Amino acid sequence: MEQLTTIGLNHYLTVSAFLLGFGLFAVMTRKNAIVILMGVELILNAANINFLAFSKFNGGMQGVMFALFVIVLAAAEAAIALAIVINVFKTFKTVDVSNIDSMKE
Amino acid sequence: MHSLIQLSIVVLLLPLLSFVILIFFNRRLPRRGDFVGVGILGTAFAISAYIFWTVIVQTYDPAFRVAWNFTWIDLGNVPGVGPLQIKMGVVIDNLTAIMLAMVNLISLLVHLYSTGYMAGDKNYGRYFAYLGIFTFSMLGIVLSDNLFSIYIFWELVGLSSYLLIGFFFEKDSAANAQKKAFLANRVGDIGMWLGILILYSQFHTFGFSEIYANLAAGKFTLSNAWLTASGILLFMGCVGKSAQFPLHIWLPDAMEGPTPVSALIHAATMVAAGVYFVARIFVLLTPDALHVIAFVGAFTAFMAATIAITQNDIKRVLAYSTVSQLGYMVLGLGVGAYSAALFHLVTHAFFKACLFLGSGAIIHAMHHEQDMRWMGGLRKHMPWTFATFTLATLALAGLPLTSGFMSKDAILAGALGFATVEGGGIYYLIPVLGFFSAMLTAFYMGRQIWLVFFGESRTHLKPADDHHADHHAHDSHAAHGDEHHEEHGVHEVSWNMRAPLVILATLSVFFVYSPDPLDGAKGWFMHMIQTPATVVGSASLEKPAALATAQQPLLAEAAVVGAGHAEKDVPESAAAEKGEEKGGHTFADPRQAEIAHATHGAHYTAIYISSIMVVLGISMALIVFVFKIIDPDKTAEAIRPLYLFSLNKWYWDEIYDATFIRGSVILSKVLSWFDTNIVDGLVNGVAVTVRKFAFANAGFDKYVVDGMVNFTAFSVNTTGAVLRKLQTGKVQTYVVMLIIAVFGYFVYYVTKLVY
Repeated sequence: MEQLTTIGLNHYLTVSAFLLGFGLFAVMTRKNAIVILMGVELILNAANINFLAFSKFNGGMQGVMFALFVIVLAAAEAAIALAIVINVFKTFKTVDVSNIDSMKE
Repeated sequence: MHSLIQLSIVVLLLPLLSFVILIFFNRRLPRRGDFVGVGILGTAFAISAYIFWTVIVQTYDPAFRVAWNFTWIDLGNVPGVGPLQIKMGVVIDNLTAIMLAMVNLISLLVHLYSTGYMAGDKNYGRYFAYLGIFTFSMLGIVLSDNLFSIYIFWELVGLSSYLLIGFFFEKDSAANAQKKAFLANRVGDIGMWLGILILYSQFHTFGFSEIYANLAAGKFTLSNAWLTASGILLFMGCVGKSAQFPLHIWLPDAMEGPTPVSALIHAATMVAAGVYFVARIFVLLTPDALHVIAFVGAFTAFMAATIAITQNDIKRVLAYSTVSQLGYMVLGLGVGAYSAALFHLVTHAFFKACLFLGSGAIIHAMHHEQDMRWMGGLRKHMPWTFATFTLATLALAGLPLTSGFMSKDAILAGALGFATVEGGGIYYLIPVLGFFSAMLTAFYMGRQIWLVFFGESRTHLKPADDHHADHHAHDSHAAHGDEHHEEHGVHEVSWNMRAPLVILATLSVFFVYSPDPLDGAKGWFMHMIQTPATVVGSASLEKPAALATAQQPLLAEAAVVGAGHAEKDVPESAAAEKGEEKGGHTFADPRQAEIAHATHGAHYTAIYISSIMVVLGISMALIVFVFKIIDPDKTAEAIRPLYLFSLNKWYWDEIYDATFIRGSVILSKVLSWFDTNIVDGLVNGVAVTVRKFAFANAGFDKYVVDGMVNFTAFSVNTTGAVLRKLQTGKVQTYVVMLIIAVFGYFVYYVTKLVY
């Protein structure tokens, strides 16, 4: 019962694993570049949850600091990625990644 | 350089100039340039006449001799041969001066005559060019002072005779005749070249005077058989050029050439070359070689005379008479009657040229009818030709008061003397054949004169199926081929053809040569041309002593002494040299001296016998053809085998055809078989092997080497094709792969952890 009443490390890790699974699923299956980007964000946030969870149960501030860095990095990454997506859309009139293959042959 | 040498070189080169001008420019010159040929020959004759005047008339010295030479090619010391230096030079002695004048005169007259005879021919200009090179070649032979240059000009004579005999080369018979002449001459020339090489191998020089000096000094190291062999081999050249048996077959066929060319060949240029050459090498001929020469000459004289009796073609009779007379000359040289033989060469040149030009005039007038059976009665129509032709005929038959009489009798006297000295027996065959041939000569020339000039014209008797049948002698405006006859019927020829006849006939009379019509020895010719002393005296001859002792007692002693010293000994050679220096009729060599003595003794005997023979021959001709006591046709029928034997020229052509020609055809077939089957087989075998090997090699290349290369390419290609499927360019795929890899690693890690 304790498992249900007390939120422990395992809960965090389980949420994080689900987030990672969803993120990966989004990255691997979606064709829309923006959705893929969202998947990437999910993965990053799954990592953040892990950082924070380990930080809380382990003591110290290293995990928190790392998570802050990841958030900043994610913001920057999102900005750059969205800029790329906008440019891709301008060039190809689509954001479907399976169609953006002009360098293949 | 002596001025005569310079002049003689000019004389030599003038006809060559004529040849060069005419062969290149005859079509651009007016009258096809015949005046160039005649003019140049006229100049050459004028110069040679001056040389003749200076040498013969002014100097009048039997030992006259000027010579000049230069080194033409110096090959240095050729390995295996020795020093090889080829010189060119000119020698002028009495013989050269006489020959120069004679050759140029006859050539000039032939040129002049040809302007009439060949008029209208389509190759008129080229004809005169050929005459030029022919004269040039002959003058080269006359002037040469060494064997090498004489051989060069010898071949040139062969070439120019080839060109001229086949002048009407559209006719098969002319083309065949020219080939026959060339090949027959080639056989002789090979022998001549071998003879030259024998002498060269001993003395390393080609010059006549050097060779004779060396021989006289006894420097010939091989046995005398080699010397005899070299003499006979050199004589082979003469056999070819001067149409002696067995190479006489080309001369009658050479009648296919234009008639003036026949005159040139028969009188001045070609056949004279052979006799002249033997005269030049006379001193090195050993007695054995001379015997061979004498017998060849006698046989040729007799054989040709018997053939001439039955020939019907006017030119063929003359051709065989030439062969016969050349036989006389060669006989004369063989028996040692050197000056007589050369005398006959010159006299014969004039009257035979006259006869040929006369027959040319007849043929011209008869519209190219050559068969005597269809002639006759020309005496009235052609008085000039008749007179000159008859005079030349009398000279040929050897009737007194003519030049031919003197020279022929000198030869026959020499033959008699020779036979006496050699001790009779078989050697008497030579004068007997000579006298018998003299009778036959008179007979066949009488027949010719009668058939051609006397009686009634028999033109209409000619069988109608002949293609000439429409050209009757009395047809008006008879045009034949490309010739243009404007006159009616048979007519006398124009002046440019008549003048040579008159000049030549004049030169056939005795007073040109000697004041005494019975003795040529009293004339200038026999004085100027004296028998040179041999350099291979009987001392060096390996003669059995028995034969030597059988000789006349008067000189038997000397001969025995000579025979005793069977090897070459210095005193004899020195004596021979002394004799040569002195010149004249005193010979150091006993054999020569003896023959000269006996010849002198036989002089009147020869005259009597030959006069009887000539009269006999002419009477027979009269009996048979004029009085018709004996019918020639019936006689021919009665002795048919003999008649056919003569008519078919002793079947020599057939014999050669069956032996040499058939033989060489068979030989060439065998060789051809060998070539196609063995040689070609080898070559083809090699080719097939190489081909097979190449195919095997190609297979290896194709399947192994190329296979390796292609396999490399194929494997890279396949690998690439597989791998390119993986590289899709889609990040999502990579992510999947990444996850699979991570999962795989995870599984691996866990598995490892568990076990």
